[in-house]
Amino acid sequence: MSNTQARTGGFDRRLRRLPFAWAFCFFATLVAEPARADTTVEVTRAAIALDEGVYALDVDLGLNLPGGARRAIEAGLTLRLNYEIEIDRTRRYLPDPDVASLVQSYELSYHALSQRYLLRNRNSGEQQDFGGLPSALDRLTTVRGLPLIDASLLESGTTYEIRVRAELTLRSAPDTLSWLLFWTEDWSATSEWYAWTHRP
Amino acid sequence: MDAPALRRAAAAAAMGVGGLLWLSAILFMARTAQHSEPFSRLHPWILMINVAGLVVLLALLATKLTQLVRDWRGHVIGSRLKARMVWTFGVLATLPILLVYFFAVQFLNRGIDSWFNVEIRQSLDDALVLSRSALETRMRDHLAATEMIASELSLSGGPLPGSLEMLRRQSGATEVIVATEYGVIITMSKGLSHDVVPDEVPSEVLLQVRQGRPFVSLEPLAEGGYLIRTAVPLGASSGDRGGMVVQATYPVAERLGALADTVQAAYQQFGEKDYLRKPLKASFILTLTVVLLLSLLAAWYGAIFTAQRLVQPIQDLVKGTRAVAQGDLDTRLPLTSHDEMGFLVHSFNDMTKRLRRAREDQQQAQQVAETERANLAIVLARLSTGVIALEPDLRIRTANRAAGSILGEELDGCEGRSFAGIGGAEGLLRQFSEACRSRLAAGETEWREQLVFPLETGRRVIMCACTPLPREGATHGGYVLVFDDITAMLQAQREAAWGEVARRLAHEIKNPLTPIRLSAERMRHKLMPSMNEQDAKLLDRGTETIVQQVEAMKEMVNAFSEYARAPRFEMTEVNLNQLVSELTDLYRAQVSGRGVTLDLRLDPALAGVVADRGRLRQLLHNLLTNSVEALEGRTGGRISIRTRRTGVGDDAVVELAVEDNGPGFQRELMGQVFDPYVTTKARGTGLGLAIVRKIVEEHGGHVEAENRPDGGARVRVALPLNGAIRGEAARREPHRSEPRRERA
Repeated sequence: MSNTQARTGGFDRRLRRLPFAWAFCFFATLVAEPARADTTVEVTRAAIALDEGVYALDVDLGLNLPGGARRAIEAGLTLRLNYEIEIDRTRRYLPDPDVASLVQSYELSYHALSQRYLLRNRNSGEQQDFGGLPSALDRLTTVRGLPLIDASLLESGTTYEIRVRAELTLRSAPDTLSWLLFWTEDWSATSEWYAWTHRP
Repeated sequence: MDAPALRRAAAAAAMGVGGLLWLSAILFMARTAQHSEPFSRLHPWILMINVAGLVVLLALLATKLTQLVRDWRGHVIGSRLKARMVWTFGVLATLPILLVYFFAVQFLNRGIDSWFNVEIRQSLDDALVLSRSALETRMRDHLAATEMIASELSLSGGPLPGSLEMLRRQSGATEVIVATEYGVIITMSKGLSHDVVPDEVPSEVLLQVRQGRPFVSLEPLAEGGYLIRTAVPLGASSGDRGGMVVQATYPVAERLGALADTVQAAYQQFGEKDYLRKPLKASFILTLTVVLLLSLLAAWYGAIFTAQRLVQPIQDLVKGTRAVAQGDLDTRLPLTSHDEMGFLVHSFNDMTKRLRRAREDQQQAQQVAETERANLAIVLARLSTGVIALEPDLRIRTANRAAGSILGEELDGCEGRSFAGIGGAEGLLRQFSEACRSRLAAGETEWREQLVFPLETGRRVIMCACTPLPREGATHGGYVLVFDDITAMLQAQREAAWGEVARRLAHEIKNPLTPIRLSAERMRHKLMPSMNEQDAKLLDRGTETIVQQVEAMKEMVNAFSEYARAPRFEMTEVNLNQLVSELTDLYRAQVSGRGVTLDLRLDPALAGVVADRGRLRQLLHNLLTNSVEALEGRTGGRISIRTRRTGVGDDAVVELAVEDNGPGFQRELMGQVFDPYVTTKARGTGLGLAIVRKIVEEHGGHVEAENRPDGGARVRVALPLNGAIRGEAARREPHRSEPRRERA
């Protein structure tokens, strides 16, 4: 297994937001904020393991959430973290076909009444609560045994490329106010692709 | 449809589509500001479209304003009026918009701030604390119940399933788990209504229990409601059951959970909005600002557009007026409206239409007048009669060629010059103008008179008629002088009369002379022998006298006969120098005895002249005889004869001049020296110079007589080199003088 870092996610994001850059400049006086620390997200480790005929994914994510983002969560905003997982079959001369792709989504919010942080798996609806943000973030950034693909779907002797990246955004609980986040600090971040090959 | 119209239609369509898109974007922006979820994702794009629309409108406005400033500086017609209107409309629109914007921003800031005032925040905090207190009471009760379960289990000697089930029911817990301090479940009791698979004991519970502290927490459930989780160490107090944990979970009453959810939801939404208050205000102000800018720019653009629409007809009118002033009567202004301005444009178009018709009529009339004028000019130019038109102030309006020919000076290009004092001193033109001016000055505006002007070269008789021209409006029309040189005509009439006299003299007198002479000679021959000497002498003297007088009368009659004789030409090429030399040789001996010298200055390059040799000899003879007779009785007399060639081509002439230093011509006879029977000598018929002029005119030439400045007379004869042609012409028009014929 060989690990490579595909540096495409950041560029795509910047390109997508480029048209709005000058609008920010135009109305800079309205939304001017002091300099802030950026959110950083990085997939530090990812691996798959065969468990009872199913490949399960383990991911370790390095996440640095600035204090402003933590205050925003405590104020009521929701932190959403999406794991994007893709499996391609590697071919020498032809384009690589997609074999499987998966988005595993989590939401982290603060429950003021119970003073606990709630971590919800948006795919399964499972919810966990934590007494502190660090423990909640530890759970958020650690994925263990996520069922990825049935082993029978992968041909023996064929090389597959598996990629994982994480995208973090801050949203309002009801989406009606999400457009206002356009005018707030941008706490969102997307990691580079973490890719490796697997040959069953 | 032509290309410009297509471009205009495409531009209008683009403007319309862009305007609709922009308007939609503004409406969407307003909707997003009202928490409309479907437009939340489009918010950046909507904002982008609005800003782009503002930029486009700003660019259009800047273009219009730049054009307006350029027109102002370039003093373009209507630019100042347009600028004033734009300024007025713009200011009138800007002030209320800014006022509304100012108050709207104030209300917006205060309104949003009022949503998040201290009282609301405090109320929510209090509600949250109150909810927590209510729940914490239950949490403490449940913790106490769990501690009792743990105590009972300790007293019973271990976590027996039966006692655990009984304790769970007594405490009201939904689940009781006994596990090791590392989370390994030893035994459990769970209600039948719940999942039989026990939940794991959370690590934070184990951690806190391992530290010897009980754990209690309120946990929101994913499906709604709350759960109170409690955990205490088992046997920690007695020491015999160390390392075990009792976890019990209790439900929260549905009603209480719903109330707690309400408080939680309100608190979370308030906190979220409070966090987003600043961007919310910024967004609202931005939306308001976009609408403000849209209104302002649209108002100014509309002001320019309206001003342009109002000023355009005025600009068109001014341009049209200037075009008409410059003579462009085809100008037509577009009729853009049916109001008063449209009526004015319609009147202008009608005026230019009438002006154009009037100009066309005038041009036609002018063309007719020009044609008639050209015809009249041609007629005047071809007229042999002189015509001079004078202004009321006696400036020359026009003169034909014949006028200049008759008056001896060129009158072409003298239009506008004063008629009085024109021409050289003592010239015919000056004398003629003075004569006319004196009559006009005396108030004689219509007259016809024969005017006689003495000149160095002779007398000129001009028949002149003056008529006033029709008045042109209130101003005097001027005068027209019509005149003709009748000198030659009078001379011809005189010559004809004298020719008739000569012929009758020759016929009536010459015939009886021969019988008279013969009778006298017969009488002397018959009677003289029979008469005495005295009577014979008397008869002889008488008959001799009769014969002499008859001879004298015969010579005179012969001279008259010669004058009246019709010429018979034998045209040959005559060497004039040779002829002059031959004749002067005959005279040289005769005059030398009288102390008169002959001086010949002959042009050696003189070509032969085609003429009748005999008639030229007669001409030279008469001139020399006239000079010799003029020098009779004078000492130091001198006669000069000069020949030379002048002119080129058809105008080439041979000039012969005979001068003497005698008394010259009497001034009062200067105009009559070539008339027959005009002489100052005691002897002579007075036909010498008359015959000279007749011979000259027979050869197509002309002759002039004048007094020399230093005394004496000079006669100049000019004969054309091609004398035959001129001679024929002279015979066809015997009454025309040569210079006048050449000029006409």
